[in-house]
Amino acid sequence: MTAPLLSVRNLTVEFHTSEGVTRAVNNISFDIPHGKTIGIVGESGSGKSVTSLAVMGLLQKPAAKILSGEILFNGEDLLTYDENQMRKLRGNQISMIFQEPMTSLNPVFKVGEQISEALRIHKNMNPKEAWDKAVDLLTQVGIPNPAASAHKYPHEMSGGQKQRVMIAMAISCEPKLLIADEPTTALDVTIQKQVLELMHDLQQKYKMSMMFITHDLGVIADIADDVVVMYRSNVVEKNTAKHIFQTATHPYTKGLIACRPNLGNNPRRLLTVSDFMTEAGEEIKLDAGKVEVFDKESVPEKSSEILLEVRNLVTQFPIKGGLFGRTVDHHKAVNDVSFTLKKGQTLGLVGESGCGKTTLGRSILRLIEPAAGEIIYKGKDIIKAGSEEMRQLRKQMQIIFQDPYSSLNPRMTVTEILTEPLIIHGVGANRAERVERAKWLVEKVGLKVNQMNRYPHEFSGGQRQRICIARALMLNPEFVICDESVSALDVSVQAQVLNLLLDLQEEFGLTYIFISHDLGVVNFISDHVGVMNAGRIVEMDRASEIYKNPREEYTRTLLSAIPKGKAGLVL
Amino acid sequence: MTNYIIRRLLYLIPVLLGVSFLIFLLFNVVAGDPTAVLLGKNATARQMEELREQLGLNKPLFMQYLDVVKSAFTFDFGRSWATKQEITYMLKQGAYPSLTLTIPAFVISTVLSLFISLFVAYYRGKGIDLFIRFLCIAGMSVSALAYILGFQWLFAYKLGWFEISGFEYGFPEFLPYIALPAIIWIILSLGPDVRFFRTVILDEIYQDYVRTARAKGLGEMTILLKHVLRNAMIPIITYTVIQIPFLILGALLLENFFGIPGIGGMTLNALNNSDFPVIKAMAILSSVVYIIFSLVSDILYTIADPRVKLK
Amino acid sequence: MKENSLWKDAFIRLTKDKWALASLIIVVVYSLVAILSACGFIAADWAQEVGASNLAPNAEHIFGTDIFGRSVFQKVVRGTQVAMSVGLATSLIAIPIGVVLGAVGGYFGGWVDDFITWLYTTFSSIPNIMLLISITMILGKGLFAVYVALGATSWVTLCRLIRGEVMKHKEREYVQAASAIGGGHTRKLFKHILPNVTHIVIINTSLQFQVAIKSEVILSYLGLGVQGEPSWGTMIDDAKLELARGVWWQLAGATLAMFIIVLAFNILGDALRDSLDPKLKGK
Repeated sequence: MTAPLLSVRNLTVEFHTSEGVTRAVNNISFDIPHGKTIGIVGESGSGKSVTSLAVMGLLQKPAAKILSGEILFNGEDLLTYDENQMRKLRGNQISMIFQEPMTSLNPVFKVGEQISEALRIHKNMNPKEAWDKAVDLLTQVGIPNPAASAHKYPHEMSGGQKQRVMIAMAISCEPKLLIADEPTTALDVTIQKQVLELMHDLQQKYKMSMMFITHDLGVIADIADDVVVMYRSNVVEKNTAKHIFQTATHPYTKGLIACRPNLGNNPRRLLTVSDFMTEAGEEIKLDAGKVEVFDKESVPEKSSEILLEVRNLVTQFPIKGGLFGRTVDHHKAVNDVSFTLKKGQTLGLVGESGCGKTTLGRSILRLIEPAAGEIIYKGKDIIKAGSEEMRQLRKQMQIIFQDPYSSLNPRMTVTEILTEPLIIHGVGANRAERVERAKWLVEKVGLKVNQMNRYPHEFSGGQRQRICIARALMLNPEFVICDESVSALDVSVQAQVLNLLLDLQEEFGLTYIFISHDLGVVNFISDHVGVMNAGRIVEMDRASEIYKNPREEYTRTLLSAIPKGKAGLVL
Repeated sequence: MTNYIIRRLLYLIPVLLGVSFLIFLLFNVVAGDPTAVLLGKNATARQMEELREQLGLNKPLFMQYLDVVKSAFTFDFGRSWATKQEITYMLKQGAYPSLTLTIPAFVISTVLSLFISLFVAYYRGKGIDLFIRFLCIAGMSVSALAYILGFQWLFAYKLGWFEISGFEYGFPEFLPYIALPAIIWIILSLGPDVRFFRTVILDEIYQDYVRTARAKGLGEMTILLKHVLRNAMIPIITYTVIQIPFLILGALLLENFFGIPGIGGMTLNALNNSDFPVIKAMAILSSVVYIIFSLVSDILYTIADPRVKLK
Repeated sequence: MKENSLWKDAFIRLTKDKWALASLIIVVVYSLVAILSACGFIAADWAQEVGASNLAPNAEHIFGTDIFGRSVFQKVVRGTQVAMSVGLATSLIAIPIGVVLGAVGGYFGGWVDDFITWLYTTFSSIPNIMLLISITMILGKGLFAVYVALGATSWVTLCRLIRGEVMKHKEREYVQAASAIGGGHTRKLFKHILPNVTHIVIINTSLQFQVAIKSEVILSYLGLGVQGEPSWGTMIDDAKLELARGVWWQLAGATLAMFIIVLAFNILGDALRDSLDPKLKGK
């Protein structure tokens, strides 16, 4: 057995800030063999990015302190290198791709220039040679019309293309090790698939080793040979990908795999990490009763009463132009959309970014005014409703937004946030009565009553989303739109929130429209699914039908892009 | 782009109408009858009436407003009440001394500030950075008057390194006269400039693309001078260009103290003599120049930043 | 269990910064001096002759005496009252105008916003110093004219900042959420948006205050400001002629008094900006 290319041994990193000391990485060890891809998986704050930055020597000093450990690259400890030695290594022998293609490229330089930069400093090429090589690299990463594209600025390219440019830049000096930190997280699922295939091909071609960091087990299963699982600054498990997915030993890994909604089975409730281990990290024996798979089609329709009917809805945004910025055209974000939704059911709307799903959700609540069409709620067209009538209707129709950070007013306490809807609509005789209802709901959504005088910034992302859910339910609505409501959450928290939404639906007889880009999540929670593309619903059917027998080409493309794992790893 | 420029030029019209209205409101409506001041205490009612007629103050208010508007678009400001000279002629006379003072001072202070801010950005968080930042704030907290009085007294009067006051035309004759006021101008500008430039540069240093540049293996100095500076130049250019109109206004206090016969000094004299036409002319002229340069700065912005496309 | 609002957090962060705390204390001390002087408790008899003409600073008269034998220290105290009153009056004029116009323009948009944008573009097109000089001259010299002139020029910056910030917050999801629960314009603007832009007012006021003080000094120096009472500006004007005779203490006294308060406001303004970090916490 030959020595690995990279060997991280007993690495411990701490951050010293004015807020205190946090240990970001705690005594971790793992190897990356030559020519292999190691996936590092973990949730936000687990220390995976810090590990990669430590390897690159890019930790922000003096806040970050490496307390102990070795990072052996080809047998030499990188931690003993000075800045100059590291600089010769970076971009040359070890290179890195970051998560955000939008901001990771310098906006004022042409992409050709940015790619040739590394070649000029590491390979001593002259500008002409470096530029030609950059064009060649753009060809390799599949940018159309590479010679012309090299002259483009980053903002003239799409997100996927920018990430390809980042890849071209990273492989320009044919590095031995490529570190990719969540390289596909910001991309749509179809683009993600293409980028992953590209990275795999290039890795084979250049015989690179790859350190692939992600929170997404599906992506890991697709690309990694070996997997390192990180949890709360520690490495809890490392093994081959196959073993990790089939015979995980650590309860956290088991929980992580189980809590991910997927297309293969239909559990009634998602398992969560807390079904496998306690907060303190002790293993719990899984309660077999919780693993209940059911066939959605066998469940009879809960009701036949139509709650909402949308007919030929159009929402458009003006395109300004000409000398005085007059409206010269309209962009139809929602274009002739029609559907019906029965009481107590969930309609999932799925599509890629820019498909109009969020605009559709907001148009239904008239948070954005639609241009044409009808929204018939309980037999009445609400587009025709006057402002007072609409205000009354808002008691029955609510929305939960995507970003739990920006959807709560940072200067109001939880109590203030929750009682506000009641104050607006004059519900409840006095403050005490309103607070009483807020307390009741706070417990329903799994928060503690003694946290109610706190402000949003004192809560975690998952807790904030629970506050948002409680706010939406304060007025006892019948209909709730969930707009990417779990997208910003870690996968284990996402499972908890999805379960909560299902429990609340059952208890209060809620009707949901669930908007998401994640097909697994939509499949799990919805009765019917509408697939959106370019402002239209291209296909709509029962959830199981859509996934089993997609009729439209676009749906098929979407479904085939979901990472399913190579080598028959069932996810 | 052309559309944008045309639109911005057209926007000049309402803004100039607004500026004219403000000036008209102040000088023709709110201000009292200037003839009493101009003629002194012993003026007869008839003399005052004649002067009012002569100055066009007998016209209906709307016509007086039109006069102000006309001057804003024709740059014909009439004659000074005090010197009886054409105001446009006075402006031409004053421009030379004013610009010999302000242009070199402006260029030097901008370049110097940029160097200092790059220097402190490189050593960000270190002692030297803190020290220079404090120096900037402290320097800004001293009254401009104190600098002028103190420096004039020390360097010109006590030490005799520079002329105390006055002006001579032609290079290098003007140097001893403008050197000290220029130095004071530079000191006054360094504080705010360095603070602004430093903030802008540091904003860029924490961007993601800088991390990419580091990951590429570039050195800190290259990153600062190439990647960061190129981005920071976008707000810096805007900030700098928008100051140019004030160069034309001259340095009011400096010119006054150092006896430089520039536009700034002229404005202060007009102020002391209640010379309304000159002050009106200066207010209108400086706003026209201001609007034009804010357009120029917007255009430069689009050249510096490939992301911005003006429509 | 801690239950801290962003304001409380910010205040704690501010007081941890020794420089900011010192600046805050200086501002409080100056305010007290100004109030006591205004009520006639101190420096009421500044016009009294207390010693010989032009005495250099000594144990009895720490800033010396002026040409009429009056205490320069008393004049500095009196000048403090003028300076602080100018800062306060400017803020009292500028804040309501700036906040109301900025908030209305930013929130409602459309022709209202076009009008407000035109209004502040017009005001900002005339260089501040020209406008200051013109207004004080027209209104006939004196403290009242200085208040109006500074008020009329300083609302512009605040208005532009508030307008931009309100436009940004208007699109935030928490405001959308307020719409979704049926909140009207008044509630969204006053209950949700304005509390989240107040920090701009505080930071801006701290910086605007010292600009007002500096401007008053220059206007008074030009003879447009306070009449018949000492101000730092008129003291510096006196010093212009005295300096050649070696009488430097009026200049020093006024400059030092001004330096300390302007420096304090500058440091405080920076510290406020840091501690009232507009970025939503936790992100």
